[in-house]
Amino acid sequence: MRGYGPFYFLGEAFRGLRANSVVNLLAVGTISMAMLIVGFFLIVFFHIQSAVSTMSDRLEMSVYLKEGLTQHEKDFLLYRLKTEPGVKKVVFLSKAEALAEFTKELKGQETLIQGLGENPLPDSYELNFDRHYAESRRLEALAKKISSYPGVEDVTYGKQGAEILSGLYKLLTYGGLSLAVLLGISVVFIISNSVRLALYSRGQEIELMQWIGATRSFIQGPFLIEGTFLAMLGSALAIGILAALYYSLPTDVMLFLSRMNGLDFLPPSVVTYMIVGSGLLGLIGGMISVNKFLE
Amino acid sequence: MIQLYRVTKYYEGVPALNDVSFIVNKGEFAFVTGPSGAGKTTLLKIIFCVERADEGQIIIQGQNTFRLKPSSIPYLRRNMGFVFQDYKLLLHKSIFENIALALKVVGTPYGDIERRAYQVLKKVGMENKRHLVPPKLSGGEQQKVAVARALVNEPQMLLADEPTGNLDPESAHEVFGLFRDINMKGTTVLVATHDWETVKKMQRRIITMERGMVTDDGSKGAAKPHPRISTKQSGGVNETRLIEGEP
Repeated sequence: MRGYGPFYFLGEAFRGLRANSVVNLLAVGTISMAMLIVGFFLIVFFHIQSAVSTMSDRLEMSVYLKEGLTQHEKDFLLYRLKTEPGVKKVVFLSKAEALAEFTKELKGQETLIQGLGENPLPDSYELNFDRHYAESRRLEALAKKISSYPGVEDVTYGKQGAEILSGLYKLLTYGGLSLAVLLGISVVFIISNSVRLALYSRGQEIELMQWIGATRSFIQGPFLIEGTFLAMLGSALAIGILAALYYSLPTDVMLFLSRMNGLDFLPPSVVTYMIVGSGLLGLIGGMISVNKFLE
Repeated sequence: MIQLYRVTKYYEGVPALNDVSFIVNKGEFAFVTGPSGAGKTTLLKIIFCVERADEGQIIIQGQNTFRLKPSSIPYLRRNMGFVFQDYKLLLHKSIFENIALALKVVGTPYGDIERRAYQVLKKVGMENKRHLVPPKLSGGEQQKVAVARALVNEPQMLLADEPTGNLDPESAHEVFGLFRDINMKGTTVLVATHDWETVKKMQRRIITMERGMVTDDGSKGAAKPHPRISTKQSGGVNETRLIEGEP
């Protein structure tokens, strides 16, 4: 079957963009504002996420052992702890080491320890977790499970800290998702309006094309390209503004941000996702308007 | 080529077409006449698949339009040229671009567009004005361009809705001359008009309609104008109007 390739549709799309340049510039400006919010939120999200990860790495669980366990019993317990899912590292802390650490923490008040006489601290295993397992409900269940192991006296972990971290994760994830959905809808709405205006301005031409045998895809192709291009342009503009703002921050702030988590500007993969994603939203916005118009 | 069986179309409960049946054979030239509101435009729109009939069967070029998927309609239309009363030319595009659009729509290779557009404009005598925009042309010239656009893809059938409604008698005569030439080369032509004088001169089949119904079919110019249509010459323009209550 004969037909025109992508160059024809691109040519027609750019002709349309030029013809409605004022409306299209307004659309690009509005989209870039929406994407600026998304981009700003993503930068904040990545920085906080990175900080949360660092804190998760520091989250520990102490498994205190009963007095008088044999080496065989300790080894067996170590094996069981190491095979628990999510456990990254297990370190044995003897009574003596625990006391030494405690003494170090009580610097200047060593007399308090001396007053205790015999070392009251038990042997323990210190557990570190993978980032994804450092979640309060999982840790609580694990602590309960380990408590029931033979030879275990008590289990403690930073319960409050874990709960705060989990809350923060949830807030970031759900808050970010809601914001992204809202702004995504607004991008679709802006593009659909902009394409609708383009459609109305060329309504006579479209009607005529239908009368002279143009297929739906022949008519809608250029408008869909216009929608996709406008959204991608708006997104790219927002990223450009954001990068300019980010790199114009005072050096001290920049150093603080990058030292905190080693993060620079948005990663290239995220920038790509933002541009491609907004292009898809533009395509959807264009499709909504074109379909409604052609119906 | 065009077969209509008991076609009925309602607009808000009022029948615009009522039990219309006729056949137009391949290569035939037929007029549909009748006063305003007789259903001529609705009939053409239904044949052209712009409107859907509520009852009856319509077979165009062997295809039952009721069974036609919306995606197939453009391909059916490519075999039917349509000429409008108001020309429907794109005013910001040159004559050549107007013709080229019809060629692009059907996927004509770029290399062929200029040659074919020139050929069809030459056929209607408008090749020397191809770089002008429609507002620079007279009504008759614009209609000739519209005919050229309808013909450029070499359709098997040409439909025209009041093609001379906005033209002076001389231009109208030229446009009908074009239709006659096209028909002589084998294209089926169906023209809706109330230009009774021209219809009579052309000596072709006349389908007369009134209030959505076919009241007469088949006579070649022998048919009399409908009692409710009167023709008179006014200011050089052929004017047709309804005479209410005239017997």
